[in-house]
Parts: sequence; structure tokens; C-alpha cells
Amino acid sequence: MTAAGTERPLLEAAGITKAFGPVRALADGSLDLRPGEVHALVGENGAGKSTLIKVLSGVLRADAGEIRVDGGPADLSGPPAARKLGFGTVFQELSLLPWMPVAENLLIDRMPRGRAGLIRRRSLAAEAEEIFARYGIESIDPREIPDRLSLADRQVVEIVRALHRRPRVLFLDEATASLSKHQVDWLFEVIARQRAEGCCVVFTSHRWKEVEQVADRITVFRNGRKVATRASLDEGEAVMLMTGRRVGELYPPRPRAAPEAGPLLEADGLRADGVGGVSFSLRRGEVLGVGGLAGQGQRELFLALYGVRRLRDGTVAIGGRRRKIRRPADAIRARVGMALVPEDRKGEGLLLPLPIRDNLTLPILGRLSAGGLVRRTEERKLVEKLIGQLQIGGQGGASRRPSEAVDTLSGGNQQKVLLGRWLMAESEILLLYDVTRGVDVATKHDLYQLIASLAADGKGILLYSSDTDEIAHLCERVLVMREGRIAAELAGDDVGTEKIVAASVMEREEAVAGD
Amino acid sequence: MTSAGARKGWRSHFAVQQATLLLAIGILVVTVLAYLGFFQSQFQRMPNDYAWDSTITNALPLVFAGVGQGIVVLTRGLDLSVGGTMDLTNALAATHMTSSAGGMLGWSLIILAIGAGIGAVNGLLVTVGRLQPIVVTIGTMSILQGVAAAVLPQPGGSIPAAYTDVMGNTGSPVGVVFVAVILAFWWLLRRRPLGVALYAIGNDPAAAAANGVNVARTKVAAYVLSGTLAAAAGLFLAAGSSGGDATGGDSYLLASFAAVVLGGVSFRGGRGSMVGVVCGAGVLTVLVSLLFYAHVNSLYESFYQGLFLIVAVLLGLGVTAWTSRTRRGGAR
Amino acid sequence: MNPMKWPPGRRTLAYSFLAVILLLVVGAILKPGILSGSSLRAIGELAAFVGFVGVGQTMVFLLGGIDFSVVWVLNASAILVVAQAAGKDAGLPLALALTLALGAVVGLANGVGVAYFGISPIVMTIGTNGIIEGLALGQSKGLTCGSCGSAPAPGLTAAMQGRVGGVPGVVLVWIGIILLISLLLSGTTYGRRVYATGVNPVASYLAGVGVRPVTVSVYVISGLFAAVAGIMLVTFGGGASLGLGDPYLLESIAAAVIGGVSVLGGRGHYIGTVAGALALVILVTILNAEQIPEYARDIIYGGVIIVIVLLYGREKRTA
Repeated sequence: MTAAGTERPLLEAAGITKAFGPVRALADGSLDLRPGEVHALVGENGAGKSTLIKVLSGVLRADAGEIRVDGGPADLSGPPAARKLGFGTVFQELSLLPWMPVAENLLIDRMPRGRAGLIRRRSLAAEAEEIFARYGIESIDPREIPDRLSLADRQVVEIVRALHRRPRVLFLDEATASLSKHQVDWLFEVIARQRAEGCCVVFTSHRWKEVEQVADRITVFRNGRKVATRASLDEGEAVMLMTGRRVGELYPPRPRAAPEAGPLLEADGLRADGVGGVSFSLRRGEVLGVGGLAGQGQRELFLALYGVRRLRDGTVAIGGRRRKIRRPADAIRARVGMALVPEDRKGEGLLLPLPIRDNLTLPILGRLSAGGLVRRTEERKLVEKLIGQLQIGGQGGASRRPSEAVDTLSGGNQQKVLLGRWLMAESEILLLYDVTRGVDVATKHDLYQLIASLAADGKGILLYSSDTDEIAHLCERVLVMREGRIAAELAGDDVGTEKIVAASVMEREEAVAGD
Repeated sequence: MTSAGARKGWRSHFAVQQATLLLAIGILVVTVLAYLGFFQSQFQRMPNDYAWDSTITNALPLVFAGVGQGIVVLTRGLDLSVGGTMDLTNALAATHMTSSAGGMLGWSLIILAIGAGIGAVNGLLVTVGRLQPIVVTIGTMSILQGVAAAVLPQPGGSIPAAYTDVMGNTGSPVGVVFVAVILAFWWLLRRRPLGVALYAIGNDPAAAAANGVNVARTKVAAYVLSGTLAAAAGLFLAAGSSGGDATGGDSYLLASFAAVVLGGVSFRGGRGSMVGVVCGAGVLTVLVSLLFYAHVNSLYESFYQGLFLIVAVLLGLGVTAWTSRTRRGGAR
Repeated sequence: MNPMKWPPGRRTLAYSFLAVILLLVVGAILKPGILSGSSLRAIGELAAFVGFVGVGQTMVFLLGGIDFSVVWVLNASAILVVAQAAGKDAGLPLALALTLALGAVVGLANGVGVAYFGISPIVMTIGTNGIIEGLALGQSKGLTCGSCGSAPAPGLTAAMQGRVGGVPGVVLVWIGIILLISLLLSGTTYGRRVYATGVNPVASYLAGVGVRPVTVSVYVISGLFAAVAGIMLVTFGGGASLGLGDPYLLESIAAAVIGGVSVLGGRGHYIGTVAGALALVILVTILNAEQIPEYARDIIYGGVIIVIVLLYGREKRTA
């Protein structure tokens, strides 16, 4: 390492706050960066890392706080201003324009100009090809549109675009999440090159191995606050700082299904768009994990089980009987009801402006009505009971009335409403897709307890999480998915973060057969 | 370096990415061929230059209104005030334009500027006012229709004959010139940062903003272009007749949408080409003559136009689904 | 309860009724006759027509859609109900059934196109509007067919123009519809599903709502009520005429917007549209009394729509 410690900080951010409605994403975001360092930002989902990066990229405006660059006040009024300061960002949600050719995406703010300042559209592809070559990328066609590229390739395009802008500070927000091992190695080489040139690289990742491998310094975030900045940190300490508790304290004891418990859900040879032949069985009282890198068909598998994606082949049996599930309503109505809790709480789960009541009873309106009219008194009783049971509105605090809109609740309480909906529906099979994403630690803890108690009640739970630790601690058995198939099944002592990650990133050994 | 052989040629990229444009061109070709068939069977000859010139000149109002609408649709918006703008500009031309060369030129420019101003108001209400485009432009449509009726209470007024000779002459290839002008304008716009920005905000406004595109300014520009082009359409409409009509532009609202749909511009924004919209406007214009020569009672005209619109949009959706299916097949 | 703490939906509803009362007060000052029985009856009748079309537009708005086909469904219904009954009460039941079926079929086509084929509501309803226009004009030979010029069946006219306790029949029908639609939206599982779908179709689908059937049903309702409006209107005009329904597209949209129904879906109630229809008609009545020219009405309509949405129809600032 260079004597970076003695240099003047390149960037100092202090006391940054940012709230979205009632949800406080950043309470006290602070960070100092030095030239020529690789700085890892770690913290749980929802700890505020991404929000801070967005503020520093000019995408979000901070509510309060001070940002100084080279010792002077910095203008971060928008993405162009941030770029002028030499800040480049690879965002977690990709920011490529899906139907514009890769070349245009790459060069969007520096198109080749010709006579009269007109863009030379003809030379776009050649120029893009040259840029790709400079970074050793050969497999991406600049004439293709991102919509038709794989997630990993889109991520690479995004990284190359940020690099091509020659940033002084490069923010990489979860840039490795969907990359293959080979591509991760490529990225680390690129990072080393940037560092050697005096560029500062800010890096977030859920994989501790990667953080240890590349970071010169590590800043830990928890609940929207900076907790510590260290030159070195071991994993146990990091978890302690990130969660405020020891590993064991965050998670309940691992739920275990009774050995004699029968199968609740059996899938055999499922094929759908993005799912290439998946078979498994889920028992009563079992929490079955689905792991793997992001975008390996986990989402598609959940959607296919739930009747959203059409099954091309394969069968689903629920409680021992074959079922045709063509739409979610079939899955919910099936004799042993199924429920899907999606990751995108706001986009796919809740009806934000509508009352808690409407959100909770939507799937069971049929049961709560007579002649098409909603039986309001019975409905209210049920809803009030559930609000009390799940402590929606906070422990001890005033619990909410059924008529209050869901968008007045905090993120954690919203998640409770979403899970509560399916408790009310008495669903026996729960498909939980990344449900703790963007949830604070306290609520996370509550949700883990809830998952464990649901399993203890004999429900079957299929759990996907982008946080491999979660799967490792909650599941008895884990299916690791790669390219739409189950690449490995881990059980018993093999269930652990290291082994799941290892099985996820193994290079493919044999060519994947087509349909 | 890369082995070029492993790549698909630009032609196959074009075929997939511009599938709806190719469909629009295909529909235009088929419509023109059908028209020629009916014309031939009726007169035992091909249409002469006059027939071609007049068809193209008659298409001009729709070509310009359609391209304006298409640019707004490209940004995920829509402009219902197109017809009202044409009403007002048509009425202004009929009541104010003088027959001197300076008068004609001056009033044309004033009217185009008024169109731009209308577009700016729409754009500002949508962006600064944070209102839905559909509500804003329904409001301005109503206002513009009222103002047009105030300017020209009864159909009438007069358009200088010289103006008709230049802008609406059905006996000279002037129509071809103006179609070339709008295509050249589009060619230039595609090579300006604004053209890139229009597509970018239609693709994904948040991603566009993260890439430094000024979303609000680009939207306002789209409405200004739409207003200006609608004003031009109003001028062509005026030039095509000897007088004005304060309701003459109303039917162009629905037709402009039809041209955009037939032209293969996605109503979800971000995809499509104004070359397609010009083709779409051509299809709708030729369709009227086609139905005439096919001896279809003119009362049924809107029936066939409506049917054609729905069939075209279904074809377009089919093509889009097909191209994205090949993607999923490839990714597996 | 403090009105400032009301949920936004109830607040806009209160505003729109406040607007109605305010307009009545202003009207009474400018033209005292406006509160007379005959004037109030006229206001009720005119508002009822807007209200009929407004049912469909409100329901479609609640799903974030729009229905342009109401114009020619209304016109075609007026022509069909007159031509089929040919001025005789005997033919009336069949004429009414056919006319309502026409509205329902057009709505069905719209709904299927939007829900199952993913066609933009604007494009789809413009298309069907053209189809119905062509069919209506062609089949009636441009309204010159033998029975097209008939007077509406006397029974229908009597029922709609006759009064019960001083209230015109058409207003009584409207009151019935207001009660029915309010119950449908507020008290039934169907209403819950409509709001849910309008707020977030993906989430609703994942919660087991049949989003497509709900969408289709809403367009069918819109078509049906446009037909109802056509049937009602024809009894007042003394016969079918071209352009009868033209103003009602704009007026139904304006009424819904003034009543706080959001074009984005999921927000608003038919009660608001009722207030919007009343406010619009009272405004026009005042303007007519002040002898403001016809064209000024369009200008004021447009201005009112924009001002109203600026007051309470703005999108949330995106983060």
C-alpha cells in the first residue's frame, strides 16, 4: 500500500441524511476517500450504502449534510455535476437504456461528432468496439441492444461505460452480484489498474471474500449510519459491526422439519422460460433454500411455481395431488394454498395508497363476502386481530387502524402487512423471494423469527435470498441454481455460506444442453 | 481482437431492432400495390403523375401532424391538442394571411411560432406542473378549439392563391419536396444530442437522468416540436383549400395516432422511427383512395380505418413479441 | 374531524362538492332564477347525461385507462334505438335490448383488446370508435334510412320526461345509477378488485385478482352506459342526429377529473364524477345566462380542467 494515509482526502462526506416519505434511508452517512485506494462499503441490505452512493453520484439530493471534494464544497446537483467532479458510478439497478444499441449506451454523453456537430452514427459501433478492446472485452457486440444481452453482459457494459469516463472516483455498487467468476477476476484486474493510476475505487459487495481480497480500507454502515472505518477487519468483527449482534443472535435456531413429515410441494422436471428442468420436493415444516448468483433462474422458478410463467413441461403436486396452476389465483385457491411474497414490495406486493384492510384481505375476499358484498364487520375483526398479532405500527406503539393507507407505514411494517396477507389466507406453502431486502435489522430479526415459527407450525417455505448468509442460517437444505438448473443440492453440514457461494460460482464444466 | 465472423452483420441487427419499421414499410407497399390493382382494373392504366402528386400533397397535413405526435409518443407522452392546434393555425391563416410574399412568409413563421408556444405550454404543464399529458392536452385541445372558433366563427376566410401554389399544389411534386424536408429534419434530429435524449427518456427516464440527460428539458422540446409540426400541418391544410375551417383539424387527432401506430412507434416509448410514421401517414392517405376505387361506400370509410388500425397494432405487437422470443431462446 | 387531516381522496371529494355549492351561490347572485324549479330540473337533466357517460369513464379511469369510443357508441345507440323501434312502443323492448347489447359488445371488444392483447387503451378505443362510426353511418345510409328519422318511441319519451314529485324521470334513473355504482365501488368484492387492479395490476394479479376479467368488465360497463346515455339523449332531442354524442367525451372526462378521479388509476369515486358533472352544467348555465358565446365554453372547459388538476391532480414528485 502507498502512504495514502498521509495524503489529503479526495472526498469527505459528513452527516448526510436522506428520507423517502416515512422511511429514513440515511441517518448519518459519512465517508472519506483518498486517492489511489480501494474502499469497501459494507453493511446489510438497507444499511444506506446504495443511498449514499446515489447521493455522491448526483442521482439523489441529500436532505442535509456536507460534502467536500479536494477540501472545498462540492456541487452534486445532478449526475452531470457529479461527472464533472470526476465521479463515475456503476449502479445496482442497471442504468442501461434497454432498446438503444450498446454502442449508444456506452457513448451516450460523448458521441463521436462530425461536420456541423452532427453525431457520426456510422462510426459508433467501431468506436465502441475499440473501447471494449481496450478493456479486454471481446464477447459483446456493440450493435446489440441490452434488452437482448444476459444480465452479466449488461453489467460488464455498465462497468466499461463508467471506466471510459475516466473517473477519479469509481463507485461500484454490487457490481459483482451477477458476474461469473471469470468476469469477477477481470473486474479485479481492472480495479487494480485504476488504483495504480491513482483513482479511488469504492466497492460494495455481499461477498466477504471479495471485500477482503480487494479493499485497502473498509467502512461499515448500519441502519443508515457509518459505524466504523478500518484498514482491516475480520469477518466476525464485520458482522458484529454490521448487525449490532453476533451472528448467532440475529438468526433464530435453524428450523428443522420433523423426520417423518410428508412432502407438501413436489416439482418434477419443471421447464419454463429461464428454468431448464428443475425437480425438488418441499416437506411440511421445512425451510428449503434456493441459492446461487443473481439471475440464474430463481425468480423464474418462483414465478413458474406460482402460475405466472407458463410451464412448458413438468408437473407440480401439492399435498400429493397433481395440480394445474395456470395463474396465481389457482395457486392461492389450491386445496393447500400457495403464496408468493415478491422482493419488490412496492412494485409487486402492496397496494400502497389503499388501506391496510384492503391489502390484507384481497386474496380472501371470496371467503369474506356474501352475494358479492363484503362482510365488513367480520373483515374488520379479522384485520384488527392480525394487526395486533404482528404488531403492525411498531412494538408497544399505537397500532394502526385498518383504514390507514399502507404508504404511511415504514418499510418493515409494510413487509409485515405483505406477510400478514398470507397468514390470513392460511397459505400452507410460502414462496419467499428476497423478502428481507431493504429492511432494517430489527425488522429482519422479526421476520426471521416469523419464518421459523411458520415452519414450526408445519408450513413449507421455499426461500430465496440475495443474502447468502440468510439462506445458510435459516435453511435445512439448499438448492443452488445456475443457468436455470439446480447445480448442486446441499444438506446437513454442507449448508454454509462458503459452500453455497462456492457452488454458485463454479465455472460450468460441461456445455449446457439446449432444450 | 475480435473475430468479426462470430458477429452477426448489421443487417440482422437492423432487422430485429427495426422490425416494426420494416413492418410499416411493408404495409405501405402492400397498400400501394392494392391501390394500383384497383386503379388498373378501373381505368386499365397506371395512375399518372398528377394522381401521385395530389396523393402526396394531400398526405402532407397528416405526415406533419403524425411526426409531431410520434415524437411525443417516443417520450412516453401523448398530445391530444394536435387537432386543436391545427384548427387554430388553419383559422389564423385563413383570416390573417396577406397575399404578398413577405406576408405569406411572415405569417407562416408567426403561425409556426404560435404552434411552438402551444407546445411549450403543454410541455411545461407536463414537466413543471407534474400533470398527466392526457389531461393537460385534453384541456389545451378544448381551449384551442374555442379560440379557433372565436378567430373564425364560420368556415371561410381566404388563403392567397399563391400560397396554395407553393404549399398545396396538387399538380407539382411539391409534396415530395416537403416529405423530403421532414425526413431530412428527422435525419438531422437523430444526429443531434436532442434526438438521442428523446429516445433515452422513452427507454427509461430514470436511467436517462442517471446518464446526464435533462429529462424535463427533453420532454418540453418534444411538445414544442409536436406543436410546431401541428402548426405546419395546419398551414398545409389551409393551403390545400381556398379557405379555412375552425374544425378542419379535429379529425387529424385520431388520424395522427393511427399514423403513429401504423408507423410502428411503441406506445410504451423509446422505440420506433419517424420514417415509419411518414409511411403510416402514407398508408392512411392511400387507403382513402383505395377504398374509393374499390367502390366502398364512403360512409364506411371510418369502419375500415378503425379496423386497419387495430389489425396494424396487433401485427406490430406480434412482431415485437416474436423478436423478444428469439432473444429468450438465445439466452437459454 | 379536521378536514386537513382527511385522506386525500375524501378531501378532493369535499372540494368538488364545495365547488358545486359555490357555483350555485355565484349563480344565484348573478341570476336569481337559477334556483327555480324549472332551472334546477334542467340542470339535473343535463348533468344526468354527463353522469351516464361518466360512469364508464370513471370506471375506466380507475384502471388507468380511457375510453374514446363513448362518442360513437352513444351516437350509434341513439340511431339504433330510434330506427329499431320506428316510433312505436311495441318495438321498444327489443330496441332497448339490442342497443344495450351493442354498447356491451363494443365494450367487450375494447376490454379484450386492452386486457388480452395488450393494446394501448387509446389506440384500441380510437379503433373501435372508427369501426362503430363507419357501421352506424353505413348501415343508416348517413342517417337517411327510412326509420332513422323516426321520433323516439313515445313510451320512452314519456318515462324520461315525465315527473315523479317534480323530479324528471331521467334524473330518477340517474339517482338509481348513482346508488348502484356507489354500492358497486364501495361495498362489493368487485369494487375492491377494481381499485386494487387500478393501483397496481401486477401486485393484484399476484394476490389472485383476475386482472384481465376485471379490465374487460370495466370496458363493458363503459360501453353499456354510453349506450344508456344515447337512449336517454335521443328522447330529449326528439330524434337521432349526427354529432349528438360529440361533446360527451370531453364532458365525461372533465367531470371525472373535476371530481378527483385520477387518470393514473386507483383513485377517485363515482360520487366525485357526479359532483363534477353538476359543477360543469351549473357553470355552463351561468355562462349561458351571461350570454357568453358558444366558443367561450370550450375555452372555459379546458381552462377548468387544467386549473383543477393543478390544484389537486399533480403527480408526486419522484425521488
